[in-house]
Amino acid sequence: MTSPTTEDLQAITEQVWLSYLDPEGVAPFLPSEETPSLPHVIAAVSVTGAWEGHVVMSFSESASQMAASALLGIEEDEVSRDDIADAVGELVNVIGGNVKSLLPDGSLLSLPHVATIDEGVNKWPAAVEVCRLQGSWQNEPIAISVWTSKSTG
Amino acid sequence: MVIDDSRAMRLILRRIVTQLGFEVHEAGNGREALELLEKMDAPPTVALIDWNMPEMNGLEFVTAVRSQERYRQITLMMVTTESEHGQIVRALAAGAHEYVIKPFTPEAITEKLALLGLVPSGTLS
Repeated sequence: MTSPTTEDLQAITEQVWLSYLDPEGVAPFLPSEETPSLPHVIAAVSVTGAWEGHVVMSFSESASQMAASALLGIEEDEVSRDDIADAVGELVNVIGGNVKSLLPDGSLLSLPHVATIDEGVNKWPAAVEVCRLQGSWQNEPIAISVWTSKSTG
Repeated sequence: MVIDDSRAMRLILRRIVTQLGFEVHEAGNGREALELLEKMDAPPTVALIDWNMPEMNGLEFVTAVRSQERYRQITLMMVTTESEHGQIVRALAAGAHEYVIKPFTPEAITEKLALLGLVPSGTLS
């Protein structure tokens, strides 16, 4: 089988942005080679079954607030932690679902899990990064990565 | 009726179908949706249903609705990230009428509803 690639992630991310965060095409996600600063919010879905691993999105605090504001139609300064969890959880769910479509049939997608960095969830023990897309959205860093936790990659 | 565990996704779908003239009821999973159906005076015209939800997923909801004659006229449309051919077949075999894969555009939802005869076919133009 072929593993997801950075190009796959970029194509999926462009579709998600056009569908939900940037329907007018004026504020796209901009890929970058620069390593983003330490993220504040981590959203992940796990894939089990024929392929095992994780799809992970990391956001700066502002990026997560902007995502919640855009998806929920509320002002950024009114965004709550629950709003952020819901919005970034749905984003990683959609991106994860599309990554899963590139994996062997019989893979299952978990419900999304969202944590802030101060909750200490940004490591995937025994997992190996398969590909990564990093960049910025309205000058705020966002990264998307795919990890495999066994030799299915 | 919009059934999705994400408030953000429910809001996106609500905006789309409200613009098409539908009154919208929301549920966060299949069980909540079944409870809501029990309370409604008349069944909804259409249900837009996520697949992966806690407590009762979309496929289970479709199966439950299709087992009840009183809900026979509800049009069931899956709106989900599940894009595997086998999953689509399962949903359609269980009684779903249409299938939309996320991410979607408002036009994609409108087009599917038009194909089902639930909105005028000229709505997109």
